[in-house]
Amino acid sequence: MSYDIIISWLQATLRWSAPLLLVAVGEIFSERSGIINMGIEGIMLCGALCGIAASFYSESILVAVLATIALGAVMGLAVAYLTVSRRTNQVVTGLMVNMLATGATNLLFAMMSETRSTRVGTFPIIFPQAMQRIPILGEIFFCQPISTWIAFILPFIAAVVLYKTKWGLNVRAVGDHPQAVATAGLSVIKIKYQAVICSGIFAALGGCVLTLGEVGYFASGGMTGGRGFIVMAAVVVGGWDPLRTAIACIIFGAADAAQLRLQGMGSVIPYQFLQMLPYLITVVALTGMVKSSHVPKTWGAAYDPDSH
Amino acid sequence: MKTEKKANITTIPFLGDIILSGSRTLIGIALGLLTSGILIALSNANPLVAYGAMIKGAFGDIYAFCNVLVRVSPLLLGGMGVAIGNKAGIWNTGIEGYMYLGAIGSGLVAIQDWGLPSALHILLAVIAGMAFAAAWGLIPGYLRAHRGVNEVTCTIMLNYVAIYLTNWLVSDAGFFAESGAFFPMSKIFQDSAQLPILLRGTSLHPGVFVGIIVCLIFFFLLKYTPFGFRTRMLGGNPNAARYSGVDIKKQIILVMVLGAMLGGLGGAIEVIGLRHRVYSDFVTGVGYECIAVALLAGGNPVGVIFAGFFFAILKVGGATMSIETGVSSSMTSIIMALCVLFVIGVGLTDNHRVKKKSNKADAVAVVKQKEE
Repeated sequence: MSYDIIISWLQATLRWSAPLLLVAVGEIFSERSGIINMGIEGIMLCGALCGIAASFYSESILVAVLATIALGAVMGLAVAYLTVSRRTNQVVTGLMVNMLATGATNLLFAMMSETRSTRVGTFPIIFPQAMQRIPILGEIFFCQPISTWIAFILPFIAAVVLYKTKWGLNVRAVGDHPQAVATAGLSVIKIKYQAVICSGIFAALGGCVLTLGEVGYFASGGMTGGRGFIVMAAVVVGGWDPLRTAIACIIFGAADAAQLRLQGMGSVIPYQFLQMLPYLITVVALTGMVKSSHVPKTWGAAYDPDSH
Repeated sequence: MKTEKKANITTIPFLGDIILSGSRTLIGIALGLLTSGILIALSNANPLVAYGAMIKGAFGDIYAFCNVLVRVSPLLLGGMGVAIGNKAGIWNTGIEGYMYLGAIGSGLVAIQDWGLPSALHILLAVIAGMAFAAAWGLIPGYLRAHRGVNEVTCTIMLNYVAIYLTNWLVSDAGFFAESGAFFPMSKIFQDSAQLPILLRGTSLHPGVFVGIIVCLIFFFLLKYTPFGFRTRMLGGNPNAARYSGVDIKKQIILVMVLGAMLGGLGGAIEVIGLRHRVYSDFVTGVGYECIAVALLAGGNPVGVIFAGFFFAILKVGGATMSIETGVSSSMTSIIMALCVLFVIGVGLTDNHRVKKKSNKADAVAVVKQKEE
């Protein structure tokens, strides 16, 4: 009995971590370039609805993913325009994008009532039945939809891009020493735009995976449930490093999965305390790492091309 | 070149600032309403009819307007809590958490049957709420002041902790939760701890007046007292403030705790005035609306009153609009968000304002040093 619970918990841990990992990868690039994209919660929500709607009307997962990418890019562009070009406060911009997204998704979902009761096509499981039937491993790893696998490979790719490619170097340089980048003749603004748009795309994809990867439906009224903020927390706890952030995401995913199981079991520890855990860990981690050098040097500050 | 021109407008003493910030806000709101109008039209309703329904819903009769007054009270108190932080250059985004803690604190007192006279019971409940919220605000305040922790991330994380804490208290905690309720809620508050209803047939409680008075008090506090001067100096130029002898750490903690107390007061009034119980999601989203209120107000306490009323009208009118035109009431939050986004997107960027302010504060510091 308890054995089954552990297996289903591990399986759920991977499943719940997948959207977090996707969103986190984008957010790392954005924050490394100095822009805190707080709108990821809202963009995720929009991506979740977009994925469902596109999948419902086009009956194709591929179209749904492409539509989600396009939406994420547009929303990322909007955030980038406001925070980079207009130099608005990044916190306020993000929070307002979230408010806008909550309203907009509720509004649109109310208009698309036909999608409500229907389950749409979800991400396929790529492994053959035989592999899924392998005890333990099959249940935990091979029953996962393809999206989970991609999400788990992504942090490694992100680490390579961030540390080994020229663009990754540019992004890190823009976040730490924008003036140096400008002196080298590169466009700080352009790189920041790219990084923020990247975070928009991945946030939308994360939302899409949340709905299409598992449940196959959208629930109005904030179905992302603060996951965007959990990702922001994971990025901080992970010290803006893709792999360490991925570990933080998996731990938070595990807490989330455990919390859902405890809710059903009526355990000694109230499940709400497990729900608090990611946020408490983040506050402690924030306190511990302030003095460290991990924080991008222009984190959250506006870049003014005129000031040297 | 362009920026220099803009700087010229702001250098007109006193008037320049008002014209600039006022017109910027109004243009932003107008653009926000215009864009929302297009969205309303896209969802098959006449925007003019919809906005008309909204105004009617907020001002149509005395009951509607009382509804606005009830809705505005947490926005005023929370908005002021954020605004005072803005003045000091701090983003106190934890209003939602403070409201929950305020509700918990006052709830713990309000459910007790001590046989106290009503005025005393209410006072105790409010004080308990504010104390709980102040303790909660002390955490990010201390971390920001002494450890340099980013207050935005910290307060938002603590908001979620507060939400889950409330969730647990109202659903499982035996001493607080109503047992056998269909919906997670606290025990009902004693009659003696409930705020009086000012107008029969409505739910109008004195919260709105408390809110307005608090805003006015802070207007004077910020403008005419040493405390206000130190706060504005901290926001203008922390270095200048430090050189002129302001205890920056103390001031940061003070500002954050004050903001938290205002948020807690808002939450306490909401439960003892309107709900008479603590529910799990009773202020969800209001904390973020308060940030928007403070932003529209540009951190100005009198502006908070106007911005608070604007949002309350949108919220109350939005419900009527939804009934009369079929546009979902979620349109309200779209309008709010668009207005704020346009206000911050239009006109001067924050940086220019800060730069100008810091010059001013620098000059002040120099003058002060010379005097010494």
